[in-house]
Amino acid sequence: MNFIRNLLLGLWYILTSSYIKGLIGQALFTFLGFQFLNLLLPDNLSEFSLMIGAIIGVIGFLLFAGVLTDWLLWIGGKETPLKHGAREGRPEWTRYLGPDVNHKVIGIQYGYTSLFVLLVGGLFALIFRLELAQPGMQLLDYQQYNTLFSAHGIVMIVSILLGVGAMLNYLVPLMIGASDMSFPRLNAFSYWVSIPAIVLVLTGMAVGGWDTGWVGYPTLSLVGPLGTMFFLLGFYINGISSIAGSINVLVTTATLRAPGMSLFRMPIFVWAALATSLIQFTATQTIAVALTLNLLERATGLVFFNPAQGGDPLLYQHLFWFYSHPVVYVFVLPGLGIISELLPVFARKPLFGYKWIALSSLGIALVGFLVWAHHMFVAGMSDTLRIVFMISTLFVAIPTGVKFFSWVATLWEGKIELSTPMLFVLGAISVFLIGGITGPILGTVPTDLHLHDSYWVVGHFHATMFGGFIFPFFAGLYYWYPKITGHMYKEALGKLHFWLMVPGFWVMSFGQMSAGIMGMNRRYADYDPALGIETQQVLVTLAAFVIGWSVLIMIYNFIASARTEPVVSMNPWGSRSPEWQIPSPAPEFNYDVPFEVVGDPYDYGLDKPYIRFQVVAGD
Amino acid sequence: MSATTAEHAVEHAVEHAHDAHSHVPPYHVQLKSNRMGLWLFFISEIFLFGALFAARFYLWHVPGVGQTRPELSQELGLLATTVLLVSSYFVFRGETAMEHGDRSRFLNSYMMAALLGLVFFVAVVVMEWNVFGLEGSIAGIELFGHLGIDDGVYAGVFYAMTGMHALHVITGVLLLLFVWNRGRKGDYSPERHWGVEGCALYWHYVDVVWVFFYPALYLIGTPWH
Amino acid sequence: MEKNADWKKAAQRLGMYVFIGLMVLTLIEYAVSIYLNSTVGLFITMLLKSALIVYYFMHVYRLWREDSH
Ligand SMILES: [Cu+2]
Repeated sequence: MNFIRNLLLGLWYILTSSYIKGLIGQALFTFLGFQFLNLLLPDNLSEFSLMIGAIIGVIGFLLFAGVLTDWLLWIGGKETPLKHGAREGRPEWTRYLGPDVNHKVIGIQYGYTSLFVLLVGGLFALIFRLELAQPGMQLLDYQQYNTLFSAHGIVMIVSILLGVGAMLNYLVPLMIGASDMSFPRLNAFSYWVSIPAIVLVLTGMAVGGWDTGWVGYPTLSLVGPLGTMFFLLGFYINGISSIAGSINVLVTTATLRAPGMSLFRMPIFVWAALATSLIQFTATQTIAVALTLNLLERATGLVFFNPAQGGDPLLYQHLFWFYSHPVVYVFVLPGLGIISELLPVFARKPLFGYKWIALSSLGIALVGFLVWAHHMFVAGMSDTLRIVFMISTLFVAIPTGVKFFSWVATLWEGKIELSTPMLFVLGAISVFLIGGITGPILGTVPTDLHLHDSYWVVGHFHATMFGGFIFPFFAGLYYWYPKITGHMYKEALGKLHFWLMVPGFWVMSFGQMSAGIMGMNRRYADYDPALGIETQQVLVTLAAFVIGWSVLIMIYNFIASARTEPVVSMNPWGSRSPEWQIPSPAPEFNYDVPFEVVGDPYDYGLDKPYIRFQVVAGD
Repeated sequence: MSATTAEHAVEHAVEHAHDAHSHVPPYHVQLKSNRMGLWLFFISEIFLFGALFAARFYLWHVPGVGQTRPELSQELGLLATTVLLVSSYFVFRGETAMEHGDRSRFLNSYMMAALLGLVFFVAVVVMEWNVFGLEGSIAGIELFGHLGIDDGVYAGVFYAMTGMHALHVITGVLLLLFVWNRGRKGDYSPERHWGVEGCALYWHYVDVVWVFFYPALYLIGTPWH
Repeated sequence: MEKNADWKKAAQRLGMYVFIGLMVLTLIEYAVSIYLNSTVGLFITMLLKSALIVYYFMHVYRLWREDSH
């Protein structure tokens, strides 16, 4: 009886959660906004009305979800102290259903949303991979195929950005000894604004889809179906989340570090978080401009890109890649940070060349801003620019190489312990190496002219994303799972996940690259059997399914393990990092006793402490 | 070693649990964070306005001619620029007054700045954009712009740049009014007035953007159509 | 108290001077455009004007000078 009561109560909490309320608000405000503008504006601007309606819908989501409440009260002149904990009389888990200000709650919200969106994007890929397994069209028509591969791209990017948000939010304040982020309400806003963004992208699939891929190049995007507008707008709104979140991370790291934690005594992941945030809070604005101009040209007829009316499509590509090249470093830098963070723990050795790794993150971020036009070698740029961007692109190999050598040197003669997080770290290094060495071939003009827009690019990009983000992210999830939940995951299932996913990925990657060399185009729905790539296509499809199943095993593992006995040890990995010196899950304000940094973070095997808890006066 | 300190920490955790107040950063730290956050936001917005600025030089470059610009009413441009500068001055006046505890001068100045901001907005949207399709002149000076939405990249860039800026003007005016309202209720003191300061910074920033946009739109290049 | 009044006056006077400087630069800008049509000249006035605002109106130095409020 009690069970049924709890179940119904839980259902009621979910149905009245901010997610549901927000969705209602978004639908309502979109509809009303559209109707209102439609009355005001002439008929030829109906897409413009819908666009503004959709923007008003985002505000509706935030209003109904309660994200703006505190700010509105402030405007009205009321003081709004931060509220902590679940609403009175409700269980602890209901905190995750609404705009909570605690950075750990927000980090976990980012995390499960990221995983959910990852599954959605993965599902899209599996559907069009089935289509590609054989030549000819069996499952989908061309428009559906185009929509699916385009949506796969953008949905995965949103998922990765959410995953980055999860890691940064959960870990940075814990690692630097802060009780929360500098701007807790803005932090909640950053998470919640990404939900209506996802809704917009998915709406785009329902109202005609779009066929531009995730890049949204004009002039195709100017004439594409209505779905294009929703996709561009969803992409745009998600940028707001990135900008607000990254400024928060930068300020938190600058002002709330524990006493004694100088820049070169921060855990190495915090350096990665800094470099990532530096890219996010600047570059995101240029894609906002690219998308804004694209939307305006679609919806109002102002001219920017359409060459038939005097515009220039290359301008869009410049603005787009000025963000979209650096953003791949937003994806991979936190992942590389996790690799550097975990290697010394599992090798029981100091991290080799701490300062070099820290500075190489900044180096990658800076060089990343100077290479964007390597995506445009065949777009009709001048030869001089092609050479300049080829050279700057090859420079990226230097700071990346620094990281690789440091990782190998850290592993060298270490007492390596192969538990699941370490396996994923090693998998990440192997996969990122594949992505790394296939990159210069694309960054070099003469070879790129042949490989541009081929499946080779798909192979290279997926290797960098899996090696730089997915594998380290999963490593991080396993590693901090006991910290987050207070329970231990099932090691056997973790190992099974790894041994399915790594070979699966290798097969997928080599299959994609080989198909690309033999002439498979990156975005075509169909291919000529005479290319002789059917074996590769079948293998890639099979491998994709193996990877998909392995991810489901991980999610099952996490759900099932939360019901097991709590972990016995507070610090199961023997880590020196401050977050492992307090109980799991961490208390509401992290460190009830403040600590002070007295040594270096990665002196594993040396008998020198990193932090010391302060003695509270009067005790 | 770590085990003992950790146990120590647990003991204290019990004693200090749920003491939210002791975990709130002190005012001067939060003030520093607020300033830094706002300036980082400004740097972020440099990329937004900078991209539009760059787009203007990209699209208004005519091969063989160099930089061009549309024919715009110079009088309107100069007027709008002056109005915005004056309002920036008033915000400075108001913030300085608050720092020295002169509440009424702070309130008057902020209200004045908000009104001037509205005048600027009207000058851009009603007069320069001419959204209502009006006509008229004073002393031979045309009051309403002629650049139509179908005037190619000249209209595109002009509307995009002034529109993005006008959006910031409107949010700035709202902020000024919110702060004015809270100031009226007696919320700020010479020691604690981050709302006043942050709002002033934002308004000056909007002015800085126009310092770059005004010459880019009205002055640089040869008139071309 | 008297000292405070002096500071206040000085601070307000500074604001007025900066504003006058900005207006003069704007007129110079206008003249540069009409008589010289010099893009470089206009970039110089832009940078001067923005520097004045950022330093005096936005008191950017408060970011690294801790004592002022
Ligand atoms: Cu790139």
